[in-house]
Amino acid sequence: MSTRRPVGLSAFQNRTSLSTSYATHGATLRSTHVSSLQTQLSVFQSLLHTFALSHAETIKSNPQFRAEFARMCNAIGVDPLAGSNVRKGAKGGKGSWWAQMLGGDVNDFYFELAVRVVEVCRGTRGENGGLIAVGECKERVQKGKGIGGGMEVSDDDILRAVKSLKPLGSGFSIVTVGSKQMIRSIPKELNTDQSTVLEAIQVLGYVTVSMLQDNLNWESARAETVLDDLLSDSLVWVDAQVREKEYWSPAFMHDAEDT
Amino acid sequence: MSKRVTNDSQSLYYKYPRSYFFPPFFTLQPNTTTRNAQFEKWSSFILSYCRHHRIWRLSIIDGLDMPLFHNSELRKRLSLHDAREVVDWMTRQEGSERAEWIGKEGEKSVAWIYWRRPEEWAEVLGDWVEETGQKNTVLTLYELTEGDSTLSAEFHSMEPAILQKSLNVLVKRGKAQVFGSEDQQGVKFF
Repeated sequence: MSTRRPVGLSAFQNRTSLSTSYATHGATLRSTHVSSLQTQLSVFQSLLHTFALSHAETIKSNPQFRAEFARMCNAIGVDPLAGSNVRKGAKGGKGSWWAQMLGGDVNDFYFELAVRVVEVCRGTRGENGGLIAVGECKERVQKGKGIGGGMEVSDDDILRAVKSLKPLGSGFSIVTVGSKQMIRSIPKELNTDQSTVLEAIQVLGYVTVSMLQDNLNWESARAETVLDDLLSDSLVWVDAQVREKEYWSPAFMHDAEDT
Repeated sequence: MSKRVTNDSQSLYYKYPRSYFFPPFFTLQPNTTTRNAQFEKWSSFILSYCRHHRIWRLSIIDGLDMPLFHNSELRKRLSLHDAREVVDWMTRQEGSERAEWIGKEGEKSVAWIYWRRPEEWAEVLGDWVEETGQKNTVLTLYELTEGDSTLSAEFHSMEPAILQKSLNVLVKRGKAQVFGSEDQQGVKFF
């Protein structure tokens, strides 16, 4: 023990004043920190604002640029769609961040896109059982029909549009099957076996009962049940013009073609 | 599967729809929902194919050997029974009556394929008359569909029977009058 402990009443006094001064100092530090951060943030926001304004046209028209911009916003914790369900002017509400930045155009862009996504999903439900690849959905939106034609969009836009539907409790969600992101437009969960089979189809192009037996060590009854379920949910189509029935997924029609 | 298009003697390239390269497309699906979506797809494919190749009447049996019902690349073929089902669906209201069986009732072997229905053809004819100023002139039915003056018109080389149906629509509306005997029929538009 090299240091001598202070003893006596004055020591208590000392200790209290010491801790108070530490506390005050800490508070000062913290407040300067906060205020400097606030300045930084406001500077940054105004810069972002300027950036958004001066590039508004590009953001609206160029899907790649839009995606990068959205990614940048996300990275610094600004969710472009946060509060997007609050309309401008309603109860003096401020509207979403994008709406403020870009006069509502970009915001409206996502709503419009969301409507198209819903249209595509509903329109193709009969053939794909409410499971569509993001890429295919994009393609169909881009083709568009009717007046106005298609929209120039990226996968990222589609994902964002689907997310913007969330407050509606619409049952639209993004699910991942194997390596692919898909839009599920029916609020019905796929069970593990079903997802496994869909994944297998994604990799192999199609499956048969015996393929499932060989690769997954499933009993034939199990394989048949899963396939029948998928069939009755319109998630797979059957090709009966082969020795053993082949099951294909319309959601991966795309990939099979590209290769 | 690199070749997306097949060259046909008749005309330029025809781009097949994506589903044409999806093997299960050629097996009618057991699930009703899926099957309806499938009918829908077959119907629009048949219509666009026939329009492109100017097929007015389709014999199911002949169709089985055409690329229409037979994808030689995939070695898939719609069966006779299924092809008939598809066309039958097209003749019904769900299929927007885009086809009509010819011949005895229940025979179901040859059908008119209406990529335009007679009422729609009537519109096209009416517009053509308007545009070319043929009102109150008399034209023979032959020159209407086979004459040089209609070479670029969509209804050129139209089947006489469909022409008759379409003209009947115009007659009923009081916009045309058909006269003459069997081979030498003429029409006057108002």
